[in-house]
Amino acid sequence: MDQKAIIEFKEVSFSYPGSRPLFKALTFEFKSNAFYLIKGPSGAGKSSLLRLLNRLEEPSSGEIFFNHLPLSSYHPPELRRRILYIQQTPTVIDGSVRDNLLLPFDFKNNNDLTRPDDDHLLTRLKDFRLTNVSLEHNAQNLSVGQLQRVCFIRGILLFPEIILLDEPTSALDKESRKIVESSAERLCCESGSTVIMVSHNTFVPKKVTPIVLDITDGRIMEI
Amino acid sequence: MEPEIVNIGFGQLAAGLLFILIAGAASVFHALKLERDLLIGTVRTFAQLFMLGYVLKFIFNLDNVWLVLLIFLFMTFFAAWTIYSRVEEKQISFFFPVLFSMTISFFLVSFMVTAVVVGVKPWWKPQYFIPLGGMVIGNSMNAIAIALERLLGDLRTNRKEIEMKLCLGADYKEASQETVRDAVKAGMIPSINSMMAVGMVFIPGMMTGQILAGADPVLAIKYQIVIMVMLVGSTAIGTLLAISLVRRLCFSPSHQLLLRPKNK
Repeated sequence: MDQKAIIEFKEVSFSYPGSRPLFKALTFEFKSNAFYLIKGPSGAGKSSLLRLLNRLEEPSSGEIFFNHLPLSSYHPPELRRRILYIQQTPTVIDGSVRDNLLLPFDFKNNNDLTRPDDDHLLTRLKDFRLTNVSLEHNAQNLSVGQLQRVCFIRGILLFPEIILLDEPTSALDKESRKIVESSAERLCCESGSTVIMVSHNTFVPKKVTPIVLDITDGRIMEI
Repeated sequence: MEPEIVNIGFGQLAAGLLFILIAGAASVFHALKLERDLLIGTVRTFAQLFMLGYVLKFIFNLDNVWLVLLIFLFMTFFAAWTIYSRVEEKQISFFFPVLFSMTISFFLVSFMVTAVVVGVKPWWKPQYFIPLGGMVIGNSMNAIAIALERLLGDLRTNRKEIEMKLCLGADYKEASQETVRDAVKAGMIPSINSMMAVGMVFIPGMMTGQILAGADPVLAIKYQIVIMVMLVGSTAIGTLLAISLVRRLCFSPSHQLLLRPKNK
């Protein structure tokens, strides 16, 4: 496994306006092609860590590097496409599954990507065990577990280098949780992306050996 | 023909207060707790309008372009201030962008109407420019306030969807496109609706005034049409400009949504 660093935190501090600091002078690195599992008590800053990585939030001091260049040197829409953040609650627009999967291709910044055809989309749906979902299906009528997988597919159509998953299984029953978890593993194994997943549950990946990190009191520790 | 306007004496004016007393009694009876506001409102109506009357008399006599412009700016400033205090927003300071958009759009529309449509010479003739400008400012002020409230509220409510789009590579404009569209629409609908209902449902205030003052109803109508069109124009320009400037403030240069949920 290639072990070069893809993300480096140098002395990163962060706090929300008017709140106590979440991270103080955090120095840490994430290796490429790895599967990270992030644990820690709620409110410890697990989501904030992911949001810092795709620049939905800005460190109060210090710098984060992606491929050895500071995050601020990338055009934000371009950066977010390469470091893709998938929200905790799957969010879709009003429209069909196809409309949702193709949504990113309407954005100016994604002009250079080829819009996938229906065959491609159907193969993806099958890969993620969504065979009973058609492209015409209204996305709002899908179950949360199905939606979460639609959001995964929408993400990997952009070929991200890093995928950030924010507790993707928190709202799911046991069965859909298993499907989503194995889908998360697929993201790492098949697309060769680095996956950083926040998870409360006792999830043990089967195909990859995860690096488990614990965030407590503003520190990141490898377990 | 010399228009015959029935003068209203002070005694008759005081008789008008009877209606306020009725409203006050209703407020007490139903525990609406509006007595205080009613009282303040009544006093302000009397004071502000009398003051306006004397100020207008003074300005009309002086007939000075700078004074007219100053009054116009003052009215715009006051309108922007009214919006600023009405829209409850702690995080984004939108006063100057709103003042800027209002000044630009209102001046443009008022100038077009007096100079081009009505053809007054000089264009700033206070008898025309100030009342017409005042109508533009007053009406568009509401439109901008509605649109701003909608924009700031919706950016907060739609946070998840906006961030979802940002995460998929949208820039801040693409991510907030729908929210902006809804806000501008919300601001413009009242003035479009009043174009639909005018003359069928209500006789507009200005026209009523002109007719009471003895003007030919057809002439009054021509003025009213100009006013309606002018209001739609200034509402559209003012709302669009204000909304796009304020939206810019809601996002950081690195396309992050800065508006936090209100309880955080």
